[in-house]
Amino acid sequence: MSLADQDEVLIGAALEGSARAWERLVKRYEGRVYNFSLRLTGNQTDALDLMQEVFLGVYRNLHRFRGDSLFTTWLFRIAHNKAVDMNRCRRLFMQQDQPGGNADGDDADPYDRVVSNDPRQDPAVVLIEEQGNSVISRHLESLSWDQRLIVELKVFQSHTFEEIAELQDIPANTAKTRFYTALRKLKSILEQDHVM
Amino acid sequence: MSCKETESLVADYLDSSLPASQRRILEQHMQQCEHCRSELAAAQKVSAHLLQWRQQQVPQWNRIPETLRHARHTRSWSWFAWWQWAPVAVSLVLVLAIFTNVQLTQTQDGFVIAFGANRTVDAMDGSVIAEQLARFEVQQRLRQDQEFQALAARMEERQDASNIRLMETVISQMSDSTARSLDQVLAYFEAIREQDMQILQSTYQQLVDSDYETIRSVQQLASYVQYQP
Repeated sequence: MSLADQDEVLIGAALEGSARAWERLVKRYEGRVYNFSLRLTGNQTDALDLMQEVFLGVYRNLHRFRGDSLFTTWLFRIAHNKAVDMNRCRRLFMQQDQPGGNADGDDADPYDRVVSNDPRQDPAVVLIEEQGNSVISRHLESLSWDQRLIVELKVFQSHTFEEIAELQDIPANTAKTRFYTALRKLKSILEQDHVM
Repeated sequence: MSCKETESLVADYLDSSLPASQRRILEQHMQQCEHCRSELAAAQKVSAHLLQWRQQQVPQWNRIPETLRHARHTRSWSWFAWWQWAPVAVSLVLVLAIFTNVQLTQTQDGFVIAFGANRTVDAMDGSVIAEQLARFEVQQRLRQDQEFQALAARMEERQDASNIRLMETVISQMSDSTARSLDQVLAYFEAIREQDMQILQSTYQQLVDSDYETIRSVQQLASYVQYQP
């Protein structure tokens, strides 16, 4: 990565009003944030909403980033908080989550979605990859929100239990118990599905 | 047999931040405790299953926030304001050139710009124009053939690469896919290939139509010029 491409340089330029620098910074992390959102929400529409909220939050607070931690750590802290906020709003204003949907929630034809989503890749290949993901997504949706979030933080974001405890403001032992319970639940579902 | 500390032990074992000394103690316990060992194996299998997640491409979305977008437009306005007159200026020059009947011809000595009546065209024989048009038509046909060959080669290359990639993915995902989904994929695959061929044919047809249109226009222009006094 060249000097001009470093996060700090892009952040500085974005703060001075460079849309180009901001766009480069977003493009660098949007894939991770989008997949984080997709695993948590279980559907593309909510995942896009969450991702937009995350980057809007990052943009509004960019001047507060002092470089004490890695930019990714700071960004995913915002992502975590936005995910929690989104779930809170959902619970307040919408119906309870309906478990058991596919990765995109609706019954829409997966072919249509794949073709319109990403013309850069071979649609058939994207479809097969998404089928694999929708199985995982279905398994994750069988967990409660708190369990899903802790699995995301531990398995996909590789956080330690101390970090999770700090992030969620809970004791580390609670985080461990929650994680272990989530794994046991997933194990029984995988056994039912003959995956294990 | 059940171990009261399984929950905490398994979680600790999966924590990458666990110090080496504590990890060794845990490993010793795992060797002795069958329950903890099987629970750990199950937890590892579940984690491995989840980590089969394939990174999905981000759909198109608007990355630039409204405030930043506004700032960008404001900054680029001065540049735009200066250049927005360029098309108007070019149009004016072209209109002037038509009214003054500007002629740009290439001779052995180089390019010649002439204003007013055009002696060159008047002097041209109709048969010479027809001959040139015929030559032009032959060249166009030759070019069409070359372009089509290149287009077909590119298409074939792209399809080959795409087929290989698709089959690799199908094989790698075989264990997770049902027979029905594979049939769907293959049917879709066939449909896409057929669509590609239709696109290729229509592109070629457009190319041919466009060239015939050009030839017809030049012929009409030539006949019009010949009838001028």
